[in-house]
Amino acid sequence: MDATWLLFTLGVALIFGKIGDHLMERVELPGVLGEILMGMILGNLVYFGLVSPEYLTLHPSDTFEFLAKLGIIFLLFLGGLDTEVEMLKKTGSIATVSTVLGVFVPLILGWFGLKLMGYPSREAFAGGILLTATSIGITVRVMMDLGVLRSEVGAASLSASVMDDFLGIALIIFAVGSGSVLGLISKMAVFFIITGIVAWYTVDKYLRFAEWLHVEKGVLAMVLALMFLFSALAQHWFDAAIEGAFMAGIVLSRLPEGKKLMEEIKSIAYGLVVPIFFVYTGAMLDLRVFASRDALTLAAVLSIIAVIGKVAGRGFGAIIMGWDFKKSLQMGIGSIPRTEVALVDLMVAIHGGAIPQSDAQKFIAATLIFITVSVLITPPLLKWAFREDVEAMKRGEMEERKSSISETKKKIAETKKPRKILKR
Amino acid sequence: MGTVNYMSEIERALQTFHSIRVSDIMPSIVTMPIVTLDAPLVDVLKLLRTRHHVWVVKSREDMELEGVIRYFDVMNVLLPPEDTKARFGNISALFKSILGGAERAEDVMERNVMTIEDDATVLDALKRMRHYKIQILAIVDEKGRLVGEVSLRMLIDEFLRLMKLGGAQWTQHGSSSRSE
Repeated sequence: MDATWLLFTLGVALIFGKIGDHLMERVELPGVLGEILMGMILGNLVYFGLVSPEYLTLHPSDTFEFLAKLGIIFLLFLGGLDTEVEMLKKTGSIATVSTVLGVFVPLILGWFGLKLMGYPSREAFAGGILLTATSIGITVRVMMDLGVLRSEVGAASLSASVMDDFLGIALIIFAVGSGSVLGLISKMAVFFIITGIVAWYTVDKYLRFAEWLHVEKGVLAMVLALMFLFSALAQHWFDAAIEGAFMAGIVLSRLPEGKKLMEEIKSIAYGLVVPIFFVYTGAMLDLRVFASRDALTLAAVLSIIAVIGKVAGRGFGAIIMGWDFKKSLQMGIGSIPRTEVALVDLMVAIHGGAIPQSDAQKFIAATLIFITVSVLITPPLLKWAFREDVEAMKRGEMEERKSSISETKKKIAETKKPRKILKR
Repeated sequence: MGTVNYMSEIERALQTFHSIRVSDIMPSIVTMPIVTLDAPLVDVLKLLRTRHHVWVVKSREDMELEGVIRYFDVMNVLLPPEDTKARFGNISALFKSILGGAERAEDVMERNVMTIEDDATVLDALKRMRHYKIQILAIVDEKGRLVGEVSLRMLIDEFLRLMKLGGAQWTQHGSSSRSE
């Protein structure tokens, strides 16, 4: 293949991706959606014969496929590095139960739903996993706009988001991993002992060695090497390299050196491989798939289960822990949005064979639709769920503010007076 | 000739400077900006008006170092959480904002503090600072208790002090200390 057009496509993909990111952020939606949309446009220019695949080599392309895989690995590595294990430990009991049910209810509903539609069990299970992980960004914005982010529900939603991602990432192993469940669990245990416990206690010696080498960007290179080695091990055992990257991130997150390297790793990730991953994912969707009703039906089923499953799961979890119906509903609605972890799980499921190539197009289409639906319906639903609280707050605050403003004005006037006298 | 002498003076000053132990130039712990985990954010902000960082310890009795809040971190504290950029791998910043629910020192601190042992030299400290692009290191004892700090500003002060003292005195004393 001519490298000219490969490099050209790489440049175009990055420019389009970042512009898409910007456009979506301007309308206060997750930037990721813009990157995917731009990828979709670029990809379909080729599928619809408007541009020759010779010039825009985005998909199918081994190079871009590999870069996209690197994107996922870097994203998960950053996810691990960003995780504060202390925060995870501090998740309250209500948030914990609510999160766990909020993960398993959509998973089980998705599994059953897809099985009823005639999908084999493994594929249906992978489909269920796509529905598990919440993306907290949009909820944070809406709750903040409404002034309820600092409420009990807001705090629980925030702390639940960390554990939610954790479960969504861990569960994909059961969809792509082969062999018996017992075999898989024992492999997971060994993997955890190697990458978790052993690495947890030896990683600082490894970093000391990297520092001792005294070479340009030596520590960064050695840290990336660790990420790749863990990924290789996870790929070999579970067909899911992301687990290794995530564990490497978590292990390094305990050291200040790991956190300090985050900015450099972000430069590689968000500056190159992560946008390529999202653009490539968008480009994988051939819009002609919508000619068949299958994709639309799948999208409808997944969207409905994604919304109902989360609200029911999280809400029920909160209710059994003693919250009233209204607060539980608010907590449930706040957990509807899905974005990047769903896409990561989707790609892992496709590459790992849990979703066969013949169904890949349908699942990509359905996932992109349920992601978009989940992101778009959350703001109005949240506003509706919090309307009474917001009105009550406004009424109470109005009086309080009036009196406090007049008091502050008085204080300012008093403090200014003596200074003026002194100046004179 | 004058220039040559001056250069060698600087070189000698640097050599001495590099070999000084950080424990010899660290300030007294009572003058350091320290809060406990449960300190309200207002206390932290008050300290950061005049300081570049605040250390966070478990309690003032055991001085076990838990985290650090830097001057630059205040931006995350005061700004609303950047929700549209809150993608996987970038979520922890959400929690650090006052609008995101942060109330106490432990909510906004960076948990993993870059430290250096008290018997390390100025050269070690400088290398570490350059390597990880940071201007301040916590000095801890073997039990992880905060005993001091070393900042780039302190190092500048110490170097200028050595320059002022002049060549003969450095070679006589070897290393210099605050007690001089």
